[in-house]
Amino acid sequence: MKVRGTLFRALVALLFALGAAVATAQDADTSAVLNLATNADPTLNPWTPGAVIESNLINTILFEQLTRYSPEDLTPSPMLATSWQAEEGGLAWVFELRQGVVWSDGDPFDAADVAFTFNDVVLNPDLGAQSASQFSAIDRVEVIDDHTVRFVLNEPFSALPYYLASFAGIIPVHVLGEAENPLQVASFNKGIPVTTGPYKVAEFVPGSFVRLVPNELYWAGEPKLAGMVFRIIPDLNTQVAEAMAGQLDVVTRLSPQNVRGIESTGALEVLRQSQNLFFFVAPNHDDERLADVRVRQAMTMAIDREAMIQAILDGYGEVASGPVAPMLGALFNGDVRQYPYDPEAAAALLDEAGWTVGPDGVRQKDGQRLSFYMPTGQFGDLVPATLLVQQYWQDVGIETDVQVMEWNAYIQDVVLGRNYEVTLAWWSMPPTADVAPYFSCDAAQTGNNIPNYCNEDLDRIMDEGRAALTLEEQADAYGRMQELLAEELAYIYLWWPDILTAKSVRLQGFPEITANAAFQHSFDWYVTAR
Amino acid sequence: MTQYLVRRLGQGLVVLFLVSLLTFFLINLAPGGPSSLVDISTTVAERNARYALYGLDRPVHERYVAWLGGAVTGDLGTSINQGLPVSRLLMQRLGATVVLALTALVLAAGFGVLLGIVAAMNPNRWPDHVVSTVATLGMSVPNFWLGIIAIIVFAVELRWLPASGIVSIGRGADLIDRLRHLVLPASVLAFGLMPNVVRVTRSAVLETKATDYVRTARSKGLPDGKVMRKHMLRNALVPITAMIGLITTVLFSGSVVIESVFGYAGIGRLAIEAANGRDYPVILGVTMLAGTVVVVVNLVVDMLYAVIDPRIRHG
Repeated sequence: MKVRGTLFRALVALLFALGAAVATAQDADTSAVLNLATNADPTLNPWTPGAVIESNLINTILFEQLTRYSPEDLTPSPMLATSWQAEEGGLAWVFELRQGVVWSDGDPFDAADVAFTFNDVVLNPDLGAQSASQFSAIDRVEVIDDHTVRFVLNEPFSALPYYLASFAGIIPVHVLGEAENPLQVASFNKGIPVTTGPYKVAEFVPGSFVRLVPNELYWAGEPKLAGMVFRIIPDLNTQVAEAMAGQLDVVTRLSPQNVRGIESTGALEVLRQSQNLFFFVAPNHDDERLADVRVRQAMTMAIDREAMIQAILDGYGEVASGPVAPMLGALFNGDVRQYPYDPEAAAALLDEAGWTVGPDGVRQKDGQRLSFYMPTGQFGDLVPATLLVQQYWQDVGIETDVQVMEWNAYIQDVVLGRNYEVTLAWWSMPPTADVAPYFSCDAAQTGNNIPNYCNEDLDRIMDEGRAALTLEEQADAYGRMQELLAEELAYIYLWWPDILTAKSVRLQGFPEITANAAFQHSFDWYVTAR
Repeated sequence: MTQYLVRRLGQGLVVLFLVSLLTFFLINLAPGGPSSLVDISTTVAERNARYALYGLDRPVHERYVAWLGGAVTGDLGTSINQGLPVSRLLMQRLGATVVLALTALVLAAGFGVLLGIVAAMNPNRWPDHVVSTVATLGMSVPNFWLGIIAIIVFAVELRWLPASGIVSIGRGADLIDRLRHLVLPASVLAFGLMPNVVRVTRSAVLETKATDYVRTARSKGLPDGKVMRKHMLRNALVPITAMIGLITTVLFSGSVVIESVFGYAGIGRLAIEAANGRDYPVILGVTMLAGTVVVVVNLVVDMLYAVIDPRIRHG
């Protein structure tokens, strides 16, 4: 029975694949140029400090990585590496590299490029490479032969193949190897970089557009579009207007308010994608009032998160039970303690913890008041979300002093300086359950563990997860981790938002699971003939 | 004359020095920092490495001295967020802004003088009323609003002109295409500046019209056109030139707004990007460029007075 089921599914998959192939061959408009938008001049080097949202998607097309996400379940699948394997009990990983890959200038790609990218760029502390801290478990990369590399680790890091699929493009040693600072070569970053992706840069007009053409040397053959243009349009509303006028084929990072207008045109469809991203209120664990878990649990129950998702996201989101999003499939554990909206229970829990309502309506205990400094930054919906949380907490006798700050100042003072008592923000993480950079004792005070939460039991479980080599072992460790995190509320989890992308209905072969995965598979994109 | 020029240039340098001093300390003392250095997921270690890389770990006064030393030799530093030399960024964008600003200036001055003369020749009759209504509209309608309306009418509804950009993608060398992209932003920019020229021209022409020498010229039988050109306009030109000089400096700030509305990649957009991203060297570079333009334009206007009116002598 089981065998027949598998056989049947395989047959169906084969038929679909054949159907897709036939459709591609017949209907693809090979003269189509795809129009996309980015909000500022991109920096065409995935590791340059400050190369963030304006650069990520175009760099994902240009700079291929060792691995990429499978469009089905986001597990790492081959890209520049064809296979990989852990050695020495997880302290080293060997990657076999793809043969026959050439850079867009004709030079062959080999192990030296991988070693250069990590040893000389990512792991060079003086360069401050973008997201280098995600790779701190790597000690060095050894070249075994032209097409084999070994990642030597300081500590087990089972999520390595996942992280290598997350904005970790390989850059060419033969072009950047001699540069004083390989991350700041203007003719590369702001001109015509040398890349391995299916499309390459033909023209970069600062402030206007970046034009891509097919890379005729691409290892998988010629891609199916005549080219792509990334237009630089700073304002999201202008991007939406251009898309509705048929001038843009893809708009990423839509706000929920834009969705209805876009769908009304009929030429565009909105994809509800996900990302391993959660919004939270960080309680500062250095504050002894917040160190009591009952206070954190009461603060969570006092917030009507369903209502906030309706109010702020127009319903495009889901209440978060922890940091690991459901899109992670086997690694996600939803069977953890939940905190549905219940202001009475929250009040009772605060009473039990000794915080009783004082004469001014604010709870107090031993002369201390339950009143918190809550700075917030002017970015996205952070300010309205903060004000809603303030209201909910006021209802149960918790006072907050909300201060609105300019965004850069907020990051400097609140995120890096930890100068806050509670604050609302979000983390966007690679699609792995390895959330140690945001929760471990190591990352408290100086790293991305904003709440300065430290729990040795948690650290031990996360270490187990990092050392676990099979998916089952990882699922076990990370399942327990999610249980503990839901119990402990290191962060007060708010929601997992949907990531909204609009695309032309004629654009096909566009994986729907996440925007990042979609752009890693740009080779498969095609536009149907009118 | 040479002495005057040297003195004025010296004064200009002092002004620029003070502008740089004020700007440098203001932007460096504001809270926050360059956006590429403080993005939310940067760890303290990463941030420290980047600060050291850009020399931002040194005290502000030391950095100012270093910047000034470079600026004197023409090195305005390197953009923190873009990694390009500031002078190169300015040169990339300057051309587009100069074209836009000069076109707007020619339109504003040309139509402004013309309408001003029409109004002055028909005081308090219907042409004067029409001109003053147009001028009042130009003065009071904010140009970002006018820009959006112009896009909706001429680009989206009528589809006569492109909505944004400098040139259509893939048609970089097409002059007609560039001109089509220039029409809307230059017209909107000019429309807001023109009323100043109209009003000054109208009152200057009205004033000369009542002078004895104009009456003499007419009574000796000179044709109207010649009286207008040789006697009235020539004398009205001094206040008009002063106004055009003033407008030229305002053009710069006007183009900041217009360039954003029309997605026009010039100095104005660069200024906004730099301010949003706290890109200190670029903010300084744009400010110094704007300061230099103001100083030079003022000097040129003062020199022009002497050319237009031989009675004015600089010494």
